[in-house]
Amino acid sequence: MRRRSVVKAALAGATVLAAPAYLRAQSSKKLSILTWNIADQQELFKQEFADFKAANPGVEIEWLDKKGPDLPAFYQTQIVAGTPPDIVDLQGAIWVDYAANGGLVDLTPYLQKEPDVAKRFNADYLKGWVYQGKTYLLPFYVAKTLLYYNKTMFQEAGLAGPPQSFDELLGFSEKMAKAEKTGFLTLNFDWLYWPLFKMNGIELLSPDGKKAAFNTPQTADVLAKLAKATASGGVNKISWTGRWVEPNGAFAAGTVGMLHAHSSSYFFVKGQGPWINGQTLGAAQLPGYWSTPTNHGFAISKGSKNPDLAWKFITHVTSDKWASAFFKNRSVLTANLAADNAGLAEMEKTDPLAAAVLRTQIEHTDKLTGNWPLPYDAELKDAFWPEIQNAALGRKEPQKALADAERTVNRLLARKA
Amino acid sequence: MLRPRTRQALLLWCFLAPSLAIFLLYRVIPVIWNLVLSFQYWSPLKAAEFAGWDHYEDLWFDDVFWQALWNTLIVIASAPIGIALALGLALLVNADIRGRNVYRTIIFLSYPLMTVAVAIIWRWMFDERVGLINYAARTFDLVDKPIPFLNSFTWALPSVIVANIWQMLGFYMIILLAGLQNVPRELHEAAAIDGAGAWHRFTRITLPLIRPSLFLAFVVGMLNSITSFDLVYVMTGGGPGRATEILVTYIYKLGFVQTKFDDAAAVTIVFFVLLISIAWAANRFTGGNAGAVETE
Repeated sequence: MRRRSVVKAALAGATVLAAPAYLRAQSSKKLSILTWNIADQQELFKQEFADFKAANPGVEIEWLDKKGPDLPAFYQTQIVAGTPPDIVDLQGAIWVDYAANGGLVDLTPYLQKEPDVAKRFNADYLKGWVYQGKTYLLPFYVAKTLLYYNKTMFQEAGLAGPPQSFDELLGFSEKMAKAEKTGFLTLNFDWLYWPLFKMNGIELLSPDGKKAAFNTPQTADVLAKLAKATASGGVNKISWTGRWVEPNGAFAAGTVGMLHAHSSSYFFVKGQGPWINGQTLGAAQLPGYWSTPTNHGFAISKGSKNPDLAWKFITHVTSDKWASAFFKNRSVLTANLAADNAGLAEMEKTDPLAAAVLRTQIEHTDKLTGNWPLPYDAELKDAFWPEIQNAALGRKEPQKALADAERTVNRLLARKA
Repeated sequence: MLRPRTRQALLLWCFLAPSLAIFLLYRVIPVIWNLVLSFQYWSPLKAAEFAGWDHYEDLWFDDVFWQALWNTLIVIASAPIGIALALGLALLVNADIRGRNVYRTIIFLSYPLMTVAVAIIWRWMFDERVGLINYAARTFDLVDKPIPFLNSFTWALPSVIVANIWQMLGFYMIILLAGLQNVPRELHEAAAIDGAGAWHRFTRITLPLIRPSLFLAFVVGMLNSITSFDLVYVMTGGGPGRATEILVTYIYKLGFVQTKFDDAAAVTIVFFVLLISIAWAANRFTGGNAGAVETE
């Protein structure tokens, strides 16, 4: 009798233990999504997930959002642990390292199989996710740099409109620099300052990407001009030292003539600058129409157990319907042509200034720069930028700074070859 | 039946075991793993491969590493400034003055604050446009233009050091105050009768007797200073340029921004050796038996 009880208890225990495994097997279609600093969109995501689950019964979705600097560290630990999220939202050039080392699923076959998906997007933004001929991400939301200008300061300096050349940009800056007022500011992280060089015909690397190409008399001349303008107050020093809050905050204070920043800056600056309205703020392209993008895209981790389902999911959230909802909710471009055009048309009526800012983001997208698909982008930035900073702030002669940067960059490229 | 001595030893090990296990798991094994990693080529998506001394060789040519090491040494060198200030405060609040407990509490208050909170407070204090320090400096006509403390190559590191000293001041003071209260009053009285002045009593009696407290304050202060990743990261992020980069922020950037965990491991080992050397030197300086337990 006692033995029978023991057997019964054992069977009952085994059933209890086995049940979750059985249930797990039933609900093996689980997707995990890691997004980057976008927790405020919880309500929208809930609707998107519900819609996806309705079309794909039995699918479980687990969503996790991480703040700015936390995401790369978190994603790396998940990769090391062998449990990367199925879908990850990556920003800037960080994806190239993962793609180059086989950490992301190549989306090219999916795009070939479903050509309508690629047609949804602005081709230039989609091209930004290509490494060695393969596409690794679909655009989630996009931004690129533009030139904001303080119309009041322009009028005071007798300037009619935004500059049309590099020399004009510096000349205008000098005209507006008085006492605490400065003429020009640029954001400097993630190669955002690079259009200033590109508009002068400067290349960072040789066409084969194996050598530094920037150490030229032309670059030295550009750097010397920037250093001179910085010393005189034409270019605000924060351009070379600040990160995000400082330069945007300085422009919002109304004492800087022009700000070279991406469209995301607009909402920060507007929130801080009571002077900002359609009459006082202008949005234009930099001379030469060059700009640097800072895009977010969805990638599928190589470790995903359900890559096909993950693909289905990212095509779902980037569809016209949900991209439009995202545009409306966040006032941000999605690179989805239909969603962006519809969103902008609507925005023209409600917030024409914001619409003018965002409109710049879909113009001249063929002139994107500073977005080289290099697996060692972060190291290259670290090798190059400090010397540019030194030269612009007058801490080093431009020629010496460029020679030092060239040596460091070439050493890095040789090590990576 | 165990002998009493064996039983006592067993009991001791039982009590020690949890702490030792944690120490082994979170201290010893990571250090050994770091050492191994520093001789490998490794990233989250690549299999490990033997690298020999390559990463250490890279460090030799790495300007950023030398800048971070130099900044780290400057931060370490700032610890005695904080200790000296704290000693002055400890002497004041050790004297028979009204409300000394209130003063002690106020001075100590900065220490339990979260470092991130301290960093944010000081970031605002040093702000170029709305910071209290620039406001005061301009109100009293000390400067014509606001000083961009945290965006200046000259001022950024001293500004971070000031914030660090401010946070640690209360801790140093409490340690030194405990040391001061253990100095027998009779020694001071006897020395005074023999004609020793206040300065002589301080240098010949007080300082030698509070040496263990000074050692403790220095070692803890030094470790806190050079591991204050959060303070530097929130205040300046290591910038402008590399002006406030210290080894610990550089290790983080190598690992988690550049995905070079192997290089980060090599810097960590150098950092570890540096810490051990300084702790050993400080111990030697204070007589070589700091932390020893008196058995009689």
